[in-house]
Amino acid sequence: MTRKIVVPGEVLAERPLRLNGAIVEGSKTCATVMGIFDDEKSLLIPLEGLWYPKSEEKVIGIVEEAKLNSYTINLNAPYKGILIAKFVRDPIDNNAIIEATVRELDKTGTVVLVRPRVLTGGKLIYVKPSKIPRIIGRGNTMIGQVSNGTSTTIEVGMNGLIWMRGGNTDLATEAIMKIQEEGHTSGLTDRISSMLNLPARQHTETYGTEEGNNVRSEEKGY
Amino acid sequence: MKAKIDLIVNGKRLDGRGPEDLREIKITPNVIRNAAGSAYIEWGANKIISAVYGPREALPKHISDPNKAIIKCRYTMAPFSSLEEHGKPGMNRRAVEISKVTAEVFEDVILVDSFPGNEISIFIEVLQGDGGTRAAGITCAAVALATSGIPMRDMPYAVSAGRIGETVVLDLNKVEDNYSEADMPVAISPRTGNINLLQMDGILTREQFGQAIGMVKKAGETITRIQKEALIKPYQEIAEKYIEG
Amino acid sequence: MQIRAITEEYLKSRYSRNLRDDNRQLTEYRKIVLKTGVVPSAEGSAEIFLGNTHVITGVKIGLGEPMSDTPEDGNLITSNELLPMASEAFDAGPPSPESIEIARVVDRGIRAAGVVDMSKLFIEAGKVWEVFIDVHVFNYDGNMFDAGTLSAVAALLSSRMPKYEDGKVIREGDLGRLPTGNIVTSCTYAKVVGKVILDPDSNEEAFASSRITIANDEQYIRAMQKGLSGSFTQGEIESAIEMSFEKSKTLREIIKKAVGD
Repeated sequence: MTRKIVVPGEVLAERPLRLNGAIVEGSKTCATVMGIFDDEKSLLIPLEGLWYPKSEEKVIGIVEEAKLNSYTINLNAPYKGILIAKFVRDPIDNNAIIEATVRELDKTGTVVLVRPRVLTGGKLIYVKPSKIPRIIGRGNTMIGQVSNGTSTTIEVGMNGLIWMRGGNTDLATEAIMKIQEEGHTSGLTDRISSMLNLPARQHTETYGTEEGNNVRSEEKGY
Repeated sequence: MKAKIDLIVNGKRLDGRGPEDLREIKITPNVIRNAAGSAYIEWGANKIISAVYGPREALPKHISDPNKAIIKCRYTMAPFSSLEEHGKPGMNRRAVEISKVTAEVFEDVILVDSFPGNEISIFIEVLQGDGGTRAAGITCAAVALATSGIPMRDMPYAVSAGRIGETVVLDLNKVEDNYSEADMPVAISPRTGNINLLQMDGILTREQFGQAIGMVKKAGETITRIQKEALIKPYQEIAEKYIEG
Repeated sequence: MQIRAITEEYLKSRYSRNLRDDNRQLTEYRKIVLKTGVVPSAEGSAEIFLGNTHVITGVKIGLGEPMSDTPEDGNLITSNELLPMASEAFDAGPPSPESIEIARVVDRGIRAAGVVDMSKLFIEAGKVWEVFIDVHVFNYDGNMFDAGTLSAVAALLSSRMPKYEDGKVIREGDLGRLPTGNIVTSCTYAKVVGKVILDPDSNEEAFASSRITIANDEQYIRAMQKGLSGSFTQGEIESAIEMSFEKSKTLREIIKKAVGD
């Protein structure tokens, strides 16, 4: 098998390779995050990983502090976002949800944002940033399918925050969580489309821990 | 401290283990939804939860480092974690020391340079303790970090070795720890073999030290495998569901 | 994630359809999973999942001196730890006023309802049993009050009782159970965007203007606590009390099943 799941510290190759989610130490390449490593193609697909801002990427955040010259944006990430007030047409309130574009990650570790748009109402969900490419899909196919199938307006931020409003937000959330969980499996697009063709289902989750000899009692929705 | 009870009879320890045997270890990743990463470990009778938050803005501001992330660790024992008296909540001097040396283990393996001005917090809470909680806590926290996606150059494990009478033994439980001649918790980065934590208390010859480290490294192969299997299992289960079905 | 995940407009639109973010009705509990005996080192223990709020409560019993006003009764000491691993919003350090309020409200219901028979905890003049209840939250998603009370009562009802022989405490072997006499449960409500809802999660708590907890047994109200800066009408509180008596029937069954009675 050429594809295998690797964990941090695992040696991927006895030669130096330039890979996201890996480092070169001595002459060896080692994984720094969990991922699927394809030996033949020398490719590492991270399963877990943090968001690294890239310019021209779309992000979603919440206005934390509106100041005279700038807005501080919570991106739920190791980096704070900043919007320069003179580039913002209308004032934005604290706690507003916004979508914006990354201009750069500056030397102080702040993400400079441009072209903000306020997203009113709706709700936010958070997914692992490493799963965002799969959730969007090639040419927006996956997220377009979810949006159409649920009549929900959806905006995806590369930082892992997803905003949605209107339509069947429950089903949209369920579909996105399924993509997050099953992103590394094949045939996912078909499963999502069949899921969306079904009538809206009641979403129930199981919160049980490990089975044991302990007496357990369960009750749902009374 | 001389043994007041016979901890080894006919080559077997009180719980039936041989000198080089580990207790049973079971790790479950992703147990705390609000955390960036988390894991639960059962190591013999030890029950420990670890969770990781961050990277996030280092607070208070004056402790932040403009060149790298700072690592905070908080090791605590629940007041009901021992069969004896109710414990005092919060951190005593022992907990402060364990928290410090544990943070130092992870400072070496986390790519701290990637997150200037940030902090990464590692929490370790002992629900039930039966000796070797710091080693089990480090082993568990390493898995919690792997689930968080925080990049690490290696995934450390820890276990203690010690001496009962003249015998070097691995993975002492609480009774053994209380009556042993020596206890030595060790944390190791398995890829490089580097020692990231070493503490010792008691009496040990130089030969016995070498023997103890050898035992730790041999056990490390098992512990690393258990850590890795725990991390991979949830992904494999989902993948297999669709391959078969 | 510390950021608010829902907006007021979204909540209002859901609530107008008698629906919560997680599809519950306004006066419906989340799924409750309650288990006892999860930490064998403790005399009693219980783990509860109230939706995504995850709490483990331990009971330890030891020797102590009686309080001067109750020289023939045992002592009950309830603490609450909002562990920093449970939420971005919790800090390490001494207990916050919120944490102390939770511990005191849980303690009051248990004490007032006589869950533990304190008179049976007397050993000899100047020596009584002390019962420590430690409520620890590992993942926080709202409503610590009910999660705390349910797990504490289940932990108490499943507790071993140590023996005192020849000046020593015996904690292992053939032990009886902690003498208990009653079951108390609590129901917590919050007023969110103008509606009174049962069992708020942390997203809803972020929008709550007022909060009330009602603890009762089969017959009587045993403890109440109104919190936050908003208010309730008398009518709202009366209907919350009525509902608590109704809801508590199922909550008591959940406790009994978890304890194995």
